[in-house]
Amino acid sequence: MKMKRVVSMLLAGAMVLSLVACGSTPAPATDTAPAADTAAPADDAAPADDAAPADDAAPADDTASAGEPVTLTMWCIATESDSNRHAYEEAIKEMAANHPEITLDWEAFENQSYKTKIKAAVQADEMPDIFFTWSCAFLGDFVAANKVYCLDDALAKYSSELPEVMLGNTTYDGKHYGVPTTMNIVGLFANMDLLKQVGYDEIPGTYDEFIKCCDALKGAGIIPFGCAGKETWCVTEYLESVIEKSVGADALNDIFLGRETWNNADVGAAVDTFQGLVNNGYFDPSGAGLTNDEVKANFMAGKYAFYMNGTWNCADFAADEAFFPKVKVAEFPVINADKAKLGQLIGGPSDTLAVAASSPNAAVAADYACELGKLICHYGYLDGCGLPAWTPYGDTSAVNGLTQAVSEICAKADSYVLFGDTAMNADDANTYLSYVDQVYGCQVNGTQFIEGLANDIR
Amino acid sequence: MKKLEKGFTIFLFLLPALLLFIGILIAPIAVSVYRSLYDWDGFSKATFIGLENYKELFTSGSIKFTVSLKNALILAFFSVFVQLPFALFLALLLGRKVKAERSFLSIFFMPVLISTVVIGQLWLKIYNPDYGLLNRFLDLVHLGNLKHVWVGEVETALGSIIVPTIWQYVGYHMLLMYAGVKGVSLDLREAAMLDGATKWQVDRYVVIPIIKPIIRVSVIFAVTGSLKAYDLVRILTEGGPFKTTEVPSTLLEEMLFLRNRYGMGSTISVMLIILCFAFALAITAAFKDREA
Repeated sequence: MKMKRVVSMLLAGAMVLSLVACGSTPAPATDTAPAADTAAPADDAAPADDAAPADDAAPADDTASAGEPVTLTMWCIATESDSNRHAYEEAIKEMAANHPEITLDWEAFENQSYKTKIKAAVQADEMPDIFFTWSCAFLGDFVAANKVYCLDDALAKYSSELPEVMLGNTTYDGKHYGVPTTMNIVGLFANMDLLKQVGYDEIPGTYDEFIKCCDALKGAGIIPFGCAGKETWCVTEYLESVIEKSVGADALNDIFLGRETWNNADVGAAVDTFQGLVNNGYFDPSGAGLTNDEVKANFMAGKYAFYMNGTWNCADFAADEAFFPKVKVAEFPVINADKAKLGQLIGGPSDTLAVAASSPNAAVAADYACELGKLICHYGYLDGCGLPAWTPYGDTSAVNGLTQAVSEICAKADSYVLFGDTAMNADDANTYLSYVDQVYGCQVNGTQFIEGLANDIR
Repeated sequence: MKKLEKGFTIFLFLLPALLLFIGILIAPIAVSVYRSLYDWDGFSKATFIGLENYKELFTSGSIKFTVSLKNALILAFFSVFVQLPFALFLALLLGRKVKAERSFLSIFFMPVLISTVVIGQLWLKIYNPDYGLLNRFLDLVHLGNLKHVWVGEVETALGSIIVPTIWQYVGYHMLLMYAGVKGVSLDLREAAMLDGATKWQVDRYVVIPIIKPIIRVSVIFAVTGSLKAYDLVRILTEGGPFKTTEVPSTLLEEMLFLRNRYGMGSTISVMLIILCFAFALAITAAFKDREA
């Protein structure tokens, strides 16, 4: 009986202890599954008006003074398979040499998982000191919630190296909250070997010629377009290009930024044009079940003639010695010359580093993030996985020919349009993506697309 | 006084379990119900909107909750009417003391032990339209006309999820039923066989009625598990193509972490709780009627 009582007390005690077992846990080890590069929307227009900027959130306690050892934490998406990985590694190595008193603990996460992780961390106030983010509305939500440290002071010393236009997507109510690490646009990549098979030595410059080329490719048993339908952002690379080259950059920008309604007949007609490409069989029917990595691999293996995607892919294409000589890049041709023109590009600076307002070393982290962002941009440009958001320096002759071609396209550009899914806030962006999905599946037509979005976007 | 003391002691011993029960089960449900009445992005101040989230759940053109519910119910249908009968068949077969009974048990149970992520990736490779095992096999047997983009076509995507789901959990239900089958007294079996019943008649008229409570539990698990299905859907199709394989859990994830709509996410979780509870009650009532 006595024994029974002792055992009962022990069991009850164990249960009580279990109630206090839930303490805060350290950040788990990173998941380094292959990253799908995200679409980087950018534009030189101000981000969405409703992103209310936070006042400068003073860090809880800026514990570091000059020269004192400081440990900073950073989260990013530069996993082992990410094309920016090398740029991050080189930049961090150089920072470690330049600032031996600062130790950086950094972790990389897969792209899609990161979106979930960073939002959970923001909500729980468990953010790292420095974190990767996409600009515009994605960062804007955090800024509006006063979770991001203002970088005005830290960026002031870099004004000659970082053009103000590159900060447009991370400026909210006149204050800067992000450091751009690269700049990218949507490019029309082409496998010239396949185009030569149907008599084309260059990427067609007009839309009519482009369609004729697609018909010729189809006739020769070559799939014109590779598109990962499983990742809707890949579909937007095509759709947004078609819309922009039909209605013009300004009109599309106004819609993305909420200044104009989606219920625009020209946009509806452009969506029907895109669906015409789908119905004509220009897209790989298996693409609906493939990831972007698989589609990119198929493109490099010669399965598709065209691959419309971000110019961060230049590094991977350049790294493949067998494929690199075959690939060229161009701007998507104009569809409606009355409203659109060449030199209006989808893209801009989107990949950004930001500093948590709750960081105990926010000022140190801010300075560190600015210098690190500059170095990532530099090494990323040398690797060819992005265009320089910062003014290039040093010997850049080693930059691959494909990235240089993209630079030439950008040099002739006069306006940029943000990627829709980053220009808009999270809810609107995902509503938009769900309709893009339905357009690709031919489940809604152009009119239903514009009416649905006009109705559902809050 | 002694009675009060006894009551207090009982309460004291029950208190830790009660606190755990409230903390892990009741409190989160209450918070979800509370949050479902608000429009909240997870970072800023929440705005009270009453039942607007519930209204929008069933009327919005982009949320498609009814599609996700339909998919979950289809999954439940196949779980109950394909997976469970097959699990029962295996349990009855293995319950007859066959050779290598334990080995077969382990083999059938192994998929339950494997991580769902691994299973999802395995089946993705099987379903790959270019080099996948399934399409390659169809080519081999001269049935190339039956090839599909299994996870990419609207007609085949949901089926592509149902097959590995059934495959993964048939062993789990088989084991539950096997435990019940093994508990049936040998005397009853022998008595039935002495009366001239065949082995399958013994199973049908003696064993199955005895293990009905276990079958009821399996049905509840199968239905509620289907309503809460997430991992295989996430890995195989991510709710696509074109949101046609969305299930409530993937929708919930999208609302919370992609669309920053914590209020709507809480609404979906409340709906899931209500549906699981309703189905559990309905199944229990249905089995009770049969037993009566």
